[in-house]
Amino acid sequence: MAVHSVTVRMTRYVGLAMLSLLLAAVECNSMSPPGKPVLLGCTSPEKETFTCRWEPGSDGGLPTTHRLYYEREKLEGTHECPDYHSAGRNSCYFDKNHTSIWVDYYLTVVAFNALGNATSDTLRIDVVEIVKPNTPENVTLLVEEREESLNLHVRWERPHNTDTQSGWVTPEYQLGVKQENTNRWKEFKAGRQTHFTLYSVNPGVVYMVRVRWRLDHGSWSEWSNTTSVKIPDYFQKERLFWILVSTLSSVPFLAAMSIMVMKRKHVKQCLLPPVPRPKIRGVDVQLLKSGRSEDIVNALITNQSFPPLVAWKDQMEDYLIVCDNDDSIQSQKRKKSLIIPAVFHLDREIQCKESTCVQNDWEKAAERKDEINNLINSNKSLSGERLSNVEPPQLPTQKHRRPSINLVNTDATDQSLSSCDGTAENTFTSFANSGYVDIQRHAGYVQEVDYSRVKEVNTDNILILEKENVPLDSSGYIQGHKEDLPEDYSRVKEVTSDSMVLLQKQSVSLDTSCREKGNHYTHSTNQKPGNHHVTGVCTELIDSGYVDTIPASPLM
Amino acid sequence: MEQERETATRKRKEDKQLRDKRRKMAHRGTNGSKLFMTVLYTVAACSAIPISDLLDRASQHSDKLHSLSTILTQELDSHFPPIGRVIMPRPAMCHTSSLETPNDKEQALQVSESNLLSLARSLLQAWADPLVVLSASANSLPHPAQNSISNKIQELQEHSKNLGDGLNILSGKMEPMAQTISSLPYRGNNIGQDKISKLINFNFLLSCFRRDSHKIDSFLKVLRCRAAKMQPQLC
Repeated sequence: MAVHSVTVRMTRYVGLAMLSLLLAAVECNSMSPPGKPVLLGCTSPEKETFTCRWEPGSDGGLPTTHRLYYEREKLEGTHECPDYHSAGRNSCYFDKNHTSIWVDYYLTVVAFNALGNATSDTLRIDVVEIVKPNTPENVTLLVEEREESLNLHVRWERPHNTDTQSGWVTPEYQLGVKQENTNRWKEFKAGRQTHFTLYSVNPGVVYMVRVRWRLDHGSWSEWSNTTSVKIPDYFQKERLFWILVSTLSSVPFLAAMSIMVMKRKHVKQCLLPPVPRPKIRGVDVQLLKSGRSEDIVNALITNQSFPPLVAWKDQMEDYLIVCDNDDSIQSQKRKKSLIIPAVFHLDREIQCKESTCVQNDWEKAAERKDEINNLINSNKSLSGERLSNVEPPQLPTQKHRRPSINLVNTDATDQSLSSCDGTAENTFTSFANSGYVDIQRHAGYVQEVDYSRVKEVNTDNILILEKENVPLDSSGYIQGHKEDLPEDYSRVKEVTSDSMVLLQKQSVSLDTSCREKGNHYTHSTNQKPGNHHVTGVCTELIDSGYVDTIPASPLM
Repeated sequence: MEQERETATRKRKEDKQLRDKRRKMAHRGTNGSKLFMTVLYTVAACSAIPISDLLDRASQHSDKLHSLSTILTQELDSHFPPIGRVIMPRPAMCHTSSLETPNDKEQALQVSESNLLSLARSLLQAWADPLVVLSASANSLPHPAQNSISNKIQELQEHSKNLGDGLNILSGKMEPMAQTISSLPYRGNNIGQDKISKLINFNFLLSCFRRDSHKIDSFLKVLRCRAAKMQPQLC
């Protein structure tokens, strides 16, 4: 009896122990129904098949299986995934037969284990919306060298399973290009073609290129593997070539330049021929250039000779013709004229006439006066010049010649003068204190009246006059001087044999009237009537035998 | 298409194409291709612009249409109440779902050209009115991107009209079968009163349009590739 109770008690204890053990075992290794799986998504690489993947939840400690069920639009019933293995674990692959497009699929995944199951959320897809192609393959790079630029050609291939030929899917490629040392990828669209050209790449740089694409505006594929290429430095060789060329070509160039520099005068003449300039005959340009004033003056007036001072005669006056009774008058050396030109003048008349008698001379004087007038009328540049007539006592028969008026053309006049009066000279360069000489300008042109003092008469029939602006009554003259100077009239007393004029000092009452009034002097009675409008000469001249002198005439 | 223009060079190109086509016709495989070749032959002999160019232009328009609709749905989804996705009507309720269209690639490649064109034209025609409804309701859409959406709807309308005109011209150059258009009337005028239903209905209509625009695009591209056997760069 006691043994029986002991065994019963033993089994009870063992059973309790077993139970507790079992319980303990169960608690340590918690088996539960599986956790909820999660459908990750589906993709179709070519719009003909698609694959769905899921993430299983906890398996509850028990072997768990997952099943995918789907329903489809326009298809009755619920169907199970046709292929669990082709795409790997936890995936479902739908082949072409099971794939329809433009219809919605509703997918669910159910996890089963011994204790229960779990269902995922339903995923709704349309195959056309989940297109994501595989990455492009075989990306190749090729560097091409052109004349002006260096180009990089990129080629790739689409994955084999994708059919773009029938137009079922429309590809769109995209390139990513990066230089090795930069961070940013540049993106280029390549359209539907499987090649692309990068123009003008930099030599000596490593370029990295990758390609991706998408179908029908779907999702982009993954980037392909990056391919790199180093652009060779083509221009090294070119640089050497150009250095050589430039060195070789510089040698003749330098030679040409040196020749040109050495012969620059010739070159200059050749390229810039001297321009012909007008030349003034008789004027020495070089002399002018040298710039010395006296030389300039000489240069300008070298070739002209001053015309001999022609006895200016008052238009209303006649010549003073002193006829000597003896033949000595005929000598050329005698000068009877008392009017002596003071300064050179341009318009001169060569009184190279011979006159034997007063009457002849009168006539001739008249003629000459006309001629003078004519000349003066034709003269245009006589301002500031004075006319003076020189009438040598012996007037050569030679008719006067019309003097040229220009400065330039004085040679003829020189000659004529000298032919008339061989010894006559025309230089009146210095003047001394001598008697007055009436110098009157011609009315038409000459506006000034200057009086000069006769300084001396030398043996050569030259009256050396003092150049002096003798002021006279301005009102009486066309252009008179302002100073008042007492004027004396002197009567010519006598002309000596050596052509000296002896004057008789005599003051003339007319003087005052000349000065005070503005009236013109009445001309002498011997005045030839003429229409020459000489407005006034204050001094009597030739006819009356008077000569204006200054009081302190040395001749006296 | 509005780009129809006559040039002598095109005529010469067509003649060359004709000669090539004649040669290739001897090696043609499927019946569908043979039929299409005869169509091309007649068309190329008569018209100035080759059909491939017309189809290329048309497919560009349809491509633009599809990309616009895709962008629109993405924009709309960015601010969409999650509840809407749950109670969204099924696509089977699109007004164009009654039209029989190919379901996969093999089926699509076997459809005749004129049928394909007819399908495309029918679909396009079916969306003329709904696009107006969409445009009207886009003006008052309770959505943060309402302006952008409204603009894109306008663009959709414009491209749709251009494509419709082009397809009309194309159909004139093809068999009479291409002229038939299935009528798919749109009867839904009420887009909804409250904010949620407005958004949901708008989204639903837009998703229907997205699918149909993709169908049109695919059909035209298949046609284009078939017509451009001489120019493989088009496909």
